[in-house]
Amino acid sequence: MATQLPPDVDAILPPGALEPLHSEARVQKITRPSLSYWQDAWIRLKANRRAILSLYLIIAMLAFTLFGPLVWRVSPSAQDLQQVSSPPGADRSAVIVPPYRPWTDAPPPVARGLTLAAPATTQYVRLAWAPLPGAVDYRIYRDIVPVHSESALGLPLGTTGSPAVTHYEDRLDLTPGTAYYSVVALNAQGVELPARETLRVEVDNAITVAEATERGLAAPNATLAIGDTVQYRLHPLGTDYLGRDMLARLMQGARVSLFIGLVAPLLYVLLGVAYGSIAGFVGGRTDQLMMRFVDFAIALPFLLFMILFKIAFGIGPGESGILPMVVALVALSWPGTARLVRGQILQVREEAYVSAARLLGGRTGYLVMRHMIPNTMGVILVTLTFAIPSAIFTEAFLSFIGLGVAPPNASWGSMSNDGIKTMLSHPHELLFPALMISITVLAFNLLGDGLRDALDAKMRSRE
Amino acid sequence: MLRYTLTRLLQGVITIWFIATATFVAMHAVPGDPLSGAKAMTTDMRHNLEVKYGLDKPVGQQYLIYMNNLAHGDLGISFTQKNRSVNDIIREHFPVSAALGILAIVFAALGGILFGALTALYRNKWPDTVIMLMVILGISVPSFVFAAFAQLAVVKLNSAFGISLLPVAGWGTVKHMILPALVLGLGTMAYLTRLMRSSMLEIVNADFIRTAKAKGLPATRIFTRHQLRNAILPVITVLGPAIAAITTGSFVVELVFAIPGLGRYFVQAVQQLDYTVIMGTTVFFGAFLVLMVIIVDLLYGLIDPRVRVN
Amino acid sequence: MTAIEATPPLLEVEDLRVEFDTYGGTVKAVRGVGFAIEAGRTLAIVGESGCGKSVTVQTLMGLVPMPPGRLTAGRARLRGRDILGPQSADAEEFRGNEIGMIFQDPMVSLNPTMTVGRQIAETLEVHRGWSRHRAFARAIELLDLVRIPNAAQRARQYPFEFSGGMQQRAMIAMAIACEPAVLIADEPTTALDVTIQAQVLDLLAELQRTEGTAIILITHDLGVVARMADEVAVMYAGQIVEHGSVDDIFYRPAHPYTVGLQAAMPSNRSGAEHRLQPIEGSPPDLFSPPVGCAYAARCPHAMRICAERDPPRFYRAAGHFGRCWLNHDAVPDGARILRAAAAGPTVETDR
Repeated sequence: MATQLPPDVDAILPPGALEPLHSEARVQKITRPSLSYWQDAWIRLKANRRAILSLYLIIAMLAFTLFGPLVWRVSPSAQDLQQVSSPPGADRSAVIVPPYRPWTDAPPPVARGLTLAAPATTQYVRLAWAPLPGAVDYRIYRDIVPVHSESALGLPLGTTGSPAVTHYEDRLDLTPGTAYYSVVALNAQGVELPARETLRVEVDNAITVAEATERGLAAPNATLAIGDTVQYRLHPLGTDYLGRDMLARLMQGARVSLFIGLVAPLLYVLLGVAYGSIAGFVGGRTDQLMMRFVDFAIALPFLLFMILFKIAFGIGPGESGILPMVVALVALSWPGTARLVRGQILQVREEAYVSAARLLGGRTGYLVMRHMIPNTMGVILVTLTFAIPSAIFTEAFLSFIGLGVAPPNASWGSMSNDGIKTMLSHPHELLFPALMISITVLAFNLLGDGLRDALDAKMRSRE
Repeated sequence: MLRYTLTRLLQGVITIWFIATATFVAMHAVPGDPLSGAKAMTTDMRHNLEVKYGLDKPVGQQYLIYMNNLAHGDLGISFTQKNRSVNDIIREHFPVSAALGILAIVFAALGGILFGALTALYRNKWPDTVIMLMVILGISVPSFVFAAFAQLAVVKLNSAFGISLLPVAGWGTVKHMILPALVLGLGTMAYLTRLMRSSMLEIVNADFIRTAKAKGLPATRIFTRHQLRNAILPVITVLGPAIAAITTGSFVVELVFAIPGLGRYFVQAVQQLDYTVIMGTTVFFGAFLVLMVIIVDLLYGLIDPRVRVN
Repeated sequence: MTAIEATPPLLEVEDLRVEFDTYGGTVKAVRGVGFAIEAGRTLAIVGESGCGKSVTVQTLMGLVPMPPGRLTAGRARLRGRDILGPQSADAEEFRGNEIGMIFQDPMVSLNPTMTVGRQIAETLEVHRGWSRHRAFARAIELLDLVRIPNAAQRARQYPFEFSGGMQQRAMIAMAIACEPAVLIADEPTTALDVTIQAQVLDLLAELQRTEGTAIILITHDLGVVARMADEVAVMYAGQIVEHGSVDDIFYRPAHPYTVGLQAAMPSNRSGAEHRLQPIEGSPPDLFSPPVGCAYAARCPHAMRICAERDPPRFYRAAGHFGRCWLNHDAVPDGARILRAAAAGPTVETDR
């Protein structure tokens, strides 16, 4: 053998170099545990952080809905008129005051400016001021925002009637919070003079002993002194425009929205699967006939018919409409699923592995159970997961235009509708239900994405 | 191609008939009669009204009259505004909705295609993250919430800077259209962005792109003539349903922004149980959507040669 | 490899190393590949799936995305000019222009929404600055050249209207439009029927005769190799384990893998009782390639040294080497083993 020896190789090889390798050492075995389709899908799903996070969110939401009312036992329709539209974390303390007695004794004269003659509470705000030059009369204003300009002083409360009267008691619709009072001098003709004073006042909640015991804010035998504070009922998420607890309403809303959002899709997916798989499996003329009906049903514009259905089922706007909504959703959505499933079945039927299984002796039942259904399961599961947020959206949408559930029942959509009215002054009333809708819808969407990636390489989105 | 068009049109007509019939059935299934909501009236007045609206005839005959009128394009007279015909209402308010819808679709389509292509090209870099965040917001926040917050934001902006950047409600000028069209199109744009992204990602890795690179074509040419052209196809497919979604979405947007469009009118009619208006607008909307879907399908045939030849 | 040539080879590749960073680790896909080719000659690169043959040529063409891929070493020169350097802007210059490439499955390798004529004309428009009209006219001529009937009509059609064989011929027309010096064909006939296969190969051979194009032909089909190749490089696990003339490879193999490939081919001459002889086992894990010879795990003649040291190139004759310890003088039966195993070639070369 006339081979040219490569430069880095010796002519003499080390001893033992030419011994044959052991046969066992030769074959490199790659052993990994073999996984079933579902195990593999589950592993893939677990690796998808967004999907798992969504799963936890959904479980949390379900817990909130089912167990929440057991923990937070407040009625969603009970009205706390002391705290209407109060945002979460608002100050809910009230100071004990003696029962109201009119302000008879004149206050000591004030040297300069505008001051409070007594602590300001919702029972009364008593102002006193130093006389203003040229004043024949005084007019008092109250505003809820700081006074910027001369012309915008707020609500005129009244006049004192005489230059000697330099005090005023305000009892008009007092609410806790910050108020800005202004006192303007008037001349003999009643025209406002430039002389004026402004004062920023913090108004505290006031309550009498009698009211406190009556409302159950203090124990009947407790001794309450003037100046003690009691706490109004706690509303962790604030209250709505009728004084109802937001948290309780959100829980009730969750029940309604999630009920519709879970039950309706489940029903119509099941219906669609049944119809579609029969059509796809039987094939031929029956399939054609069944699909003709479905094709027309699909062409109907969804939302329009939702509205029509809702009206047609005898429940007009203004009444609670959970059942009609579910029925309408199911009736309008099952054709879409049926078509989808039928398409899948047709596809799977033609796949080589089905023919192979049949050739190997598989009977129809076996083929359906072991081959066709598991391969359509992926699509069905994904469809279901995307159907849920779609249903929640639809319900929110309809409730928003007044065709969903009605007061006093709550759904997230109707709560959003209410919340929009007070959006500028009390955004929390809109924020919370909107947030709930968004989070739920988002979670289901992300979960659906994750499922789709995990279950089918063909459906997988390249993310 | 011609044959295909004719078949689709025929199917469309049948579908519209189906919609009209379903609407008729639905409306007549409502308990109580249409005039019960009206103000108190004498029996004579009531009888006159019944005759006027044809309510005294048996249902079957009412159906035939209804269908006959429909075929002639007559949608009846409004119940609540007894001197206005439904046709007039539609004629007056539909163009408003149409303008809004068209602007919204243009936003959604252009935005969706542009953003989707960007995320595919700059995958996992910052444009991708930012855009996908917007997409997530777009698909999970309901449109009425968006509308409300948009208004809030503009109001705050206006007061903070003391200017009137955009009007928050009403209709009349081009500036009035911007905010509602944006809000209306946002959900669809988010969906189209996602679709375009996955389509692009698939195309970017496709074999014929490899061939294009092997031919030494410059990157821009590959992007426009090879990638974009093919990636757009799925987006066009869903354009039909997208138009439908925008049309129905206009109900809410018109409500929140106080726009005198047909959608808002429809919602009001529903709340007032104005039967003829409800029926008329439903059939009108239905017909409109069917037509749109057909047009989009034909458009798709023009773009994808594989559909055309077959 | 004699360095006595006065002119450098048309295309030469030295010590190419390419790795891929994946979530499972780093795959060493190409581990020191080198070859050269001259005008008018055909080099066949043979090997099983995953051996790195496609990655090698795609790296030359700059088609491997460089993350996750990485070129860790190697040089390539076309007519003396460096084509793998950091100046990737130049890559678009020679791609499609001086080196053309055709791919395995023509149906998915052609843009479905562009006419065939336009796709061919594109190359001319871009590389030669021709007008659309002129380029399209030339495209029709090219379609004619690759023996597609009714070329003018066909040029206006879309790829899906062509048959598989016609699509591949259209791809060839596209690749040779700018008269490249080198044509790389990555498994051009794998997706085609055998009869069409013959036509396409004949076409390639004729183009080589008339234009003097050098062809790098990637295949796993030894029949194609026998028919078309002047030189053959056998690849395994990212390395070239044997390189020689087509006669060398078939009649005087210097590596057990080459022998195994030939033995695994079904033969119509060995009689009805002859069983197919597969090569047991599977290729090694390229996340951590073995220290010694990559083929040792499957080789029936493996020795201890094979597992310990990667065999170098043993030259049997000028231009013919095999990376196998059996070629070492110290191996008593080395030559005999290889010769015996190679007894009775099952394929006739006709070059």
